[in-house]
Amino acid sequence: MKRTASLLMLVPLLGATQTLSAALGITLMLGAVLGVFAVCMSPLRERLTGTRALLASLILAATLTSCANIMAQRWLLSWQQTSELYIGLIALHCVVLEYHGAFREPVAVSFKRCALFGALMLVVGGLREIIGYGSLGRGLSEHWQGLVLFPEGLHLFTLVPGAFVLLGLLLAVRQAWTRRNSVIKETHRP
Amino acid sequence: MNRSASVATLVLLALIGASATYVLQRSSAPQIASEQRLLDSRQLLDVMPAALYDNQPLEQPLTLAEPVLRHSTLSGGYRATRSGQTVAVLLRSRSEGYAGTLELLIAIDANGRVLGVKTLEQRETPGLGGYIGEWPNAWLQTFLGKSRTEPTDAGWALKKDQGQFDQIAGATITSRAAINAIHDALRYFDEHQALLLGAGS
Repeated sequence: MKRTASLLMLVPLLGATQTLSAALGITLMLGAVLGVFAVCMSPLRERLTGTRALLASLILAATLTSCANIMAQRWLLSWQQTSELYIGLIALHCVVLEYHGAFREPVAVSFKRCALFGALMLVVGGLREIIGYGSLGRGLSEHWQGLVLFPEGLHLFTLVPGAFVLLGLLLAVRQAWTRRNSVIKETHRP
Repeated sequence: MNRSASVATLVLLALIGASATYVLQRSSAPQIASEQRLLDSRQLLDVMPAALYDNQPLEQPLTLAEPVLRHSTLSGGYRATRSGQTVAVLLRSRSEGYAGTLELLIAIDANGRVLGVKTLEQRETPGLGGYIGEWPNAWLQTFLGKSRTEPTDAGWALKKDQGQFDQIAGATITSRAAINAIHDALRYFDEHQALLLGAGS
């Protein structure tokens, strides 16, 4: 059950994090839409049950995602055009998380999970930009070209397979770290 | 809660959702359109340095007389001005590449020298002639500063054809088409200089 939701979260993590600014954009948008969705869904959940609750979450998710998409078009058009697919998918995230009851957990737990996921998005985005383009923070502001670290980067890491490789490496680092620090083998959580 | 009340809640939710999206879409449409125009024009106009002009060249399209040239066809032109003086003319040129139409945007300054060349559309072989579609493009930069008379007509060709330009490796036909299109555009500029530069409106 939980695995479907985690796998679905992999999509923006791998697909929409070419640069730090892209990762920041999609993280903020995910956070905003999921937050408003959770707030709006809580009164509805008491009134509706079963299929009707799911239908309500579907309508709400579609509305919020379309509104967020229109606002992104209005103020961040160039970013919106590269991440359009992943913005549309946010609606699916909302519905799947709602279906698996992720919003019914205590606020502190889900907030911590969101913060961890956001931090992971930013780390992957930042590392992909450094390795793939040799710069950091490009496109964050119009007047700043970003921090140039290397003149050229590894093209692979600007593509989705590169993100997958990077995520694998990060998981390996984490595994090695936790093994060294504790004797207890930790079950690995994707 | 009974059935009809929950159905009413759903219908109400759907109505609110649809109308909110509609209102937001309606109120944002003009701004989105203008953002889109700005993005498009930036994509076209990065063929030359932005500091060079201070007008909106895409809003000043030129009407081109006799647009059919020897190797290519001009499909449009724009004038870039700076404090009223024409500093550059942009010509959209269409010619036949190896696999389909090759559309180039060629920026020519008031003295008839190439300011920049950018590929707008191409269907060349990926990995060979397709290289012409990349931006920034080192091969297209070799044309910067060239004019119709410099090099001479004979020089406006590939080294393979006794000219002075290198070709894109493995893409003779694409390279030849691009060189001919640029040469055509420069020749057209020379022949219609007064008309293209205008009064500097």
